[in-house]
Amino acid sequence: MEKLEKFLMPVANVLSKNKVLSAIRDGFLITVPITIVGSIFLLISNFPIAGYEEFMAGIFGAGWDGYLGRVTAISFDCVALLGVLSIGYCYSREKGLENRIAGAVVALVSFLIITPQYSMVEAEGLSEAIKVSGFKFTFLGTAGMFLAMITAIVAVEIFSWAMKKNLVIKLPDGVPPAVMESFAALIPAGITMIVFFLLGIVFSFTSFEYAHYFIYQVLQAPLVGLGRLGGFEVIYQFLSTLFWFFGINGPAVTNTIFAPIHKVLTVENYEAAKAGLEMTNIFTSGFSDFFCNFGGGGSTLALVIMMAFFAKSSRLKTLGKLSLPAGIFGINEPIIFGLPIVLNPLMAIPFILTPVANTILGYIATVTHIMPITNGAQLPWTTPIVFSGWLVTGSFMGSVVQIVMLAMDFAIYYPFFRMLDSKYLSEESETKNQTDELDDLSFDDLSLD
Amino acid sequence: MKVILIFDQGLAGAGGKTNPNVGLTATKGGIGFASSLQPHFNKIDAQVVATLYCGNEYFLANEQEVVTKMTAMVKKLNPDFVLCGPCFQYADYGKMAAEISASILTHTSVQSCAMMSKEVSDVIAEYKDKTPIVVMPKKGGTGLNDSIANLCSLMQASVNNSGDLAEIKTKVCY
Repeated sequence: MEKLEKFLMPVANVLSKNKVLSAIRDGFLITVPITIVGSIFLLISNFPIAGYEEFMAGIFGAGWDGYLGRVTAISFDCVALLGVLSIGYCYSREKGLENRIAGAVVALVSFLIITPQYSMVEAEGLSEAIKVSGFKFTFLGTAGMFLAMITAIVAVEIFSWAMKKNLVIKLPDGVPPAVMESFAALIPAGITMIVFFLLGIVFSFTSFEYAHYFIYQVLQAPLVGLGRLGGFEVIYQFLSTLFWFFGINGPAVTNTIFAPIHKVLTVENYEAAKAGLEMTNIFTSGFSDFFCNFGGGGSTLALVIMMAFFAKSSRLKTLGKLSLPAGIFGINEPIIFGLPIVLNPLMAIPFILTPVANTILGYIATVTHIMPITNGAQLPWTTPIVFSGWLVTGSFMGSVVQIVMLAMDFAIYYPFFRMLDSKYLSEESETKNQTDELDDLSFDDLSLD
Repeated sequence: MKVILIFDQGLAGAGGKTNPNVGLTATKGGIGFASSLQPHFNKIDAQVVATLYCGNEYFLANEQEVVTKMTAMVKKLNPDFVLCGPCFQYADYGKMAAEISASILTHTSVQSCAMMSKEVSDVIAEYKDKTPIVVMPKKGGTGLNDSIANLCSLMQASVNNSGDLAEIKTKVCY
């Protein structure tokens, strides 16, 4: 165990403290509320009940969901645009820039400079496609995600370099700070924009024509392809809980690598559904949150339920009852440190095994069509199971699979729960049977001399 | 070595944020997070004889009472060492741990320390000259096992009053 920790610690340090990876991870976190609100609009327009659409159309008229679609489109189809801004902001923070919003805006502008600013539109009555000015959702959504990440990092790197080299216009004292900051950013922003302007020209002379196509083909498609492999989610879940066992926040480490891939897989499903195509990505954020790891890290909901209702030792029973309300909503901090699970070898096996077993079961249930593939909706990770399974698959079979998983989790945790319960029970009965001054500890009759 | 642990409700396994008002409680032996400390304690032949705890909000509402009674209980049980922590980055618990540890060192002959992460910077700045405060990571940070090993070296040197105590303090404390 010590050898394993000695190997994992430097990996965790490198990943969680790397400025680029931290900025990408935290940048995506900033976009999560937007995606969740967009998902709620998506769910309202596609609520998984038969006859719902006709019912709503009867009240609000045909095309009622068009207004809702505007919010969903901005949340999902502009995910790269939101990403470049938020990652730019987070990387400005990592680089120690005071004017972080300037770094973020420069990143956004750089991204837009290298994004195609027209599209070819075919229309009836025209012999050939015509060129129409304007950005296309295609380049601002998932297809531009990895380019957005790279652009944000490179743009802020250049901007920050110029700021630190003091390539700034200094105004005399007495000028308002907002004006001072604005002028200070002028030359660094100019240098960054010129670099991206030149990059855009360089790409126009290649067969790719735009940086979007280059990054998509060379980087994004192969990496996202890895996310479609069966072992992707298993490795993610295994590593996340393994790090937690050593007290290290697993997802904070693993998400530096896995979060962008999860995000693309999720939004691709939304885009496929919107285009009337079949959704093909199994390992979406919804699948990860609600079918692999519900109840908190280690998927401990089953353990908490057992503690609350089946524990014989008063210590486990009390902790279970206190932890259950939070556990239903995916929070398990009381047991991570209070049971404890961190650095507790007895609980390591079920804690690491359960999310992996859930992932395998969820995968099998999806590929055998027992439940539908998870859609692009991203719900708050605190959504309780049964509801979450129904909403992210659009079918009650999602809820049924979660209940089966919960039963399996009971079975995995049970022997370890029983061992711990017996240990605590024997400690409690020892305390009852022995008598020394420690058996009768009380603050009530304490002398305060 | 006889050790007393001073926990908040979270580490004691008495619930987290859902149970912040649990009153002063004393339990024989180690409970909650003590299980994770014990493998390290075994290496220095340390045995947890009692765990004292209360909720973080109970402490804030009854600060003086908690510090006085915890100190009196330590005096009564007379262990070799008192660990007030590990507090991770929890500010209320960090304040409670630092205050109690400083009080134990002032009013009893028992050795004591607090343990928290650098995020509790105000408390560290105020108390680091009144009690040793062992460096540790915040919740989910890397290096928890190493920090507990450091704590054990401090405990051993403090109890044995060994010559390298000052050096160890410089190395493992704020």
